[in-house]
Amino acid sequence: MVVMDVRALADEDLIPLMARGDARAFEALYERHSGAAYSLAYRMVGARAVAEDVTQEAFLNLWRSGAHYDRVRGSVRSWILGIVHHRAIDALRRNAVHAKRRSDDETAAERLEAPDKVEDDVARRDEAAIVRNAMDVLPSDQLKVIELAYFGGYTHVEISELLDSPVGTVKGRMRLGLKKMREALSHGAVET
Amino acid sequence: MNGDHERWEDATGAYVLGALPDDERAAFEEHLATCAACRAEAEELRVAAQALPLSGPPVLPPPALKARIMAEVEREAELLAGARDTPGPERERPRRRWSWRVPMPAVALACAALLAGVVAGGVLFGGGSDGRRYDMDSTLPQASAELDVTEDGAIIVANKLPMPEAGKVYMVWIQRPGRAPEPTSALFTPRRDGSATASVTGDMEGVATVLVNQEPLGGSTTPTSQPVLVASLAS
Repeated sequence: MVVMDVRALADEDLIPLMARGDARAFEALYERHSGAAYSLAYRMVGARAVAEDVTQEAFLNLWRSGAHYDRVRGSVRSWILGIVHHRAIDALRRNAVHAKRRSDDETAAERLEAPDKVEDDVARRDEAAIVRNAMDVLPSDQLKVIELAYFGGYTHVEISELLDSPVGTVKGRMRLGLKKMREALSHGAVET
Repeated sequence: MNGDHERWEDATGAYVLGALPDDERAAFEEHLATCAACRAEAEELRVAAQALPLSGPPVLPPPALKARIMAEVEREAELLAGARDTPGPERERPRRRWSWRVPMPAVALACAALLAGVVAGGVLFGGGSDGRRYDMDSTLPQASAELDVTEDGAIIVANKLPMPEAGKVYMVWIQRPGRAPEPTSALFTPRRDGSATASVTGDMEGVATVLVNQEPLGGSTTPTSQPVLVASLAS
C-alpha cells in the first residue's frame, strides 16, 4: 500500500482531510502556519503565555471548524490568521493587559521585541519586507490608527479617545491608509 | 439607500480591521448585504488588512505548544473515530425552549426538570474512569450529544448536528448556580457527517450546567443566542 505523505498536499486539499478527523492533515497545517499565527498573537498580546494560549485556541478552533473554510473568501493562511486575530482581541479585552497598555504611548509595532527563535524561512522574510514597504508609504497618522486597531485590538471609538481625534477622522484615516497600502501591495505582489 | 451609503462609507476600513464596536459591526453588516459598492471596497481593503500580520518578524512558537495541541487533537480524533464505529441508538429527545434571562427560580426548576430527565434517561458512568457522562438535552431536531465530565474539564461528543448559520460557530458555556453563563474557549463546527467533538479545559468544580449555542466566529463574552444543547450536571 502506498502511504500518501500529507505534507505534500496544498492547504486547500488538507482542509477536507482534517475536517474528516485526520490528525496528520491538521499537523501539516500547524507546521506551515503556526509561525505566522504565533508571531501575530505575540505581537498583539505582548506576553508569551497569553500568545501560546491564543495560538492553541485558534488551532483547536481550526481543527474543530475545518469544514467551515470557504476558499472563495481567501487563503487558508488568511483564514487561520483571522481566527488568531479574533482570539487575540478577545484575550486583550478579557485581560488587564489592555488596560495597562492604555497608559503607554508607544505603538503596537514599537512594543515588539523578538523573544524566541526567529524563523529562518527566506520566502517568509521577503514577504514581511514587502508588506513593511507597503506600510512605509503611509503617513504616520494613518499607520498609527491602523496599527492600534489591528494589533492593539482597539475600536475606532477607543482610538479616537486615545488620540483625541474625532471618530470620523479616525475612520477616514483607516480607510485611506488601507487603500494606499492595497495599492502599494499590488506592486509588491504579496499573496494573502 | 443613498443616505445610508453616505453614513457608512467611511466604515469599511474600520470594519476590515475589526475595529467596529459589536453593535456598529452588526449594523454595518446589514448595510453591506444591500450595498454592492461597500462590499467591493471591503473586499479590496481586506487584502491590505490581511497582509498586516505578515509584516512582523516571524517568531517560532515553542515546541511544547505543538505537543500540547497535538495531544488534544489526537485525543479528539480517537474519540471521533470511536463515535463513528459505534453509532448510538436513535432516541427521541424532549425539546425545551431556553432563555438566558429567565429568573433564577425558573432556572432552578427547569434544571431540576432537566436533571430528572437525564436521570430517567440513565446517567452513564464512563467505563472505569472517574468521568461522569450525561446526555445533553437538544432543541435541534435529530441532534444528540453526550457530555463527559472529568476532574479537569469536559468533552462533548455530538451527532447529527446541523451546520451553524453562516459566519457562526457553536460555542460551549459553563454555568454555576446563580451566575451568568461563563464563556469557554471551546468553539466548534460539526464535520460533514454532523459529528463533532469539543473539549472544555479547566476547573469544573461547582459547574451546574453546560450549554452550547451559536456565536460569531471568534466567540463572544456573553451569549448572543439561545442554547441548543444543555446538560445539567448531577452533583
